[in-house]
Amino acid sequence: MSATAPPLSASAAVLGALEGVKCEVSMGRDGVATVELARELAHDALSRLRDRAGFEQCTLVTAVDHLIDNELGALAHAGARERYEVVWQLLCTTRVLGGRAERVRLRARVSESDARVMSCTDLWPGAAYAERECYDMFGIRFDGHAGLKRLLMPDEYEHHPLRKDFPHEGIEPDKLYRAWDAARRAAEPARDAGQERS
Amino acid sequence: MAALLPVREQASGDGFFATRVDALVNWGRKNSLWPMPLGLSCCGIELMAMIGPKFDIARFGAEAARFSPRQCDLLVVAGTLTWKMAQAARTIYDQMPDPKWVIAMGVCSSSGGMYDSYAVVQGVDSILPVDVYVPGCPPRPDAVIDAILKLQQRIEREQPLKRVFALPEHVIEQGSGAWLRAPNSGVPKSASDLHPHDPRARRAIERREIERQGSGGGKV
Repeated sequence: MSATAPPLSASAAVLGALEGVKCEVSMGRDGVATVELARELAHDALSRLRDRAGFEQCTLVTAVDHLIDNELGALAHAGARERYEVVWQLLCTTRVLGGRAERVRLRARVSESDARVMSCTDLWPGAAYAERECYDMFGIRFDGHAGLKRLLMPDEYEHHPLRKDFPHEGIEPDKLYRAWDAARRAAEPARDAGQERS
Repeated sequence: MAALLPVREQASGDGFFATRVDALVNWGRKNSLWPMPLGLSCCGIELMAMIGPKFDIARFGAEAARFSPRQCDLLVVAGTLTWKMAQAARTIYDQMPDPKWVIAMGVCSSSGGMYDSYAVVQGVDSILPVDVYVPGCPPRPDAVIDAILKLQQRIEREQPLKRVFALPEHVIEQGSGAWLRAPNSGVPKSASDLHPHDPRARRAIERREIERQGSGGGKV
């Protein structure tokens, strides 16, 4: 463990790369610089951070559903802020900040009615899986992604399970299986004859 | 194996067995269960331990795990079955040749376990006919060996000939434990023949009580 104190502000590299981009830079409690910005600016900011600040790895693309915030918690923000927040986290393997390899986090709000952002697969092809998972779990579309389809749930699945309004026991969880089973039984009725012993 | 009675050696020089076809077939089936290991999570590790030399289910003839369902007759669902995997599990079951049996190993496959979730099948008995459930998370290999022994006892009581000739089979009451009794125990003649813990014995005693009260002029 390094005894270095966590940094108090974002590194000059981050601030320099984002110069001219309308955003709000703060320091997270974990010592990671956090950039909040509009979703239209996110792709530009990501490419600047990659090319000018040397963040060569995109380690995380995910989303946060702020449904509870809107309804119960931050009542002052209710309706004023969009429901989802897409989060990217980048890693620079060559620079050290606060005793660790430097990271930066970007957050952009997207609305429920138009849940889409620009894909960053043109900057980091490896982000494709993370974006697919984010689409699968939150239903956020990534424009420019070459094959945006579900990653974990079946292709025909109708819901996005990590949304806060999705019940944890699911909505008709056996629906796809039952449809498949019915088709299978209709195709080969003889196979199941006498098979089901109690 | 009680059903395979050796005819006296003195009577025949070379020795032979007299038995029923049912008993012979069941004896062969129960001692050569070939498991299809459907290892889906941590239960799969315990299943491997069970097949390995320390617990050694070769003692019970069930060590020949095959990864082709065509060669298997015992499907061991070991672990958390998701709805996405359920189609594969059902396909594996369909591809196994008859006769076949299913063990639901661990609480996940028995009831969904701790995964009260949109993604997990809440008990594989909703898609497969399960013969033995094994509790545990994961169950120790001993518990699964016990399940195999119970399954062998059950197979001993099957009537393959009746199935061949499409005759009605003796129905085993659910939860009566009838398939754990000896194959030729038959139908008990009176309540005193039954084990005192047998629910039928209790019912017979209750009936006798009611009859006695009825004959004594009391209202029933």
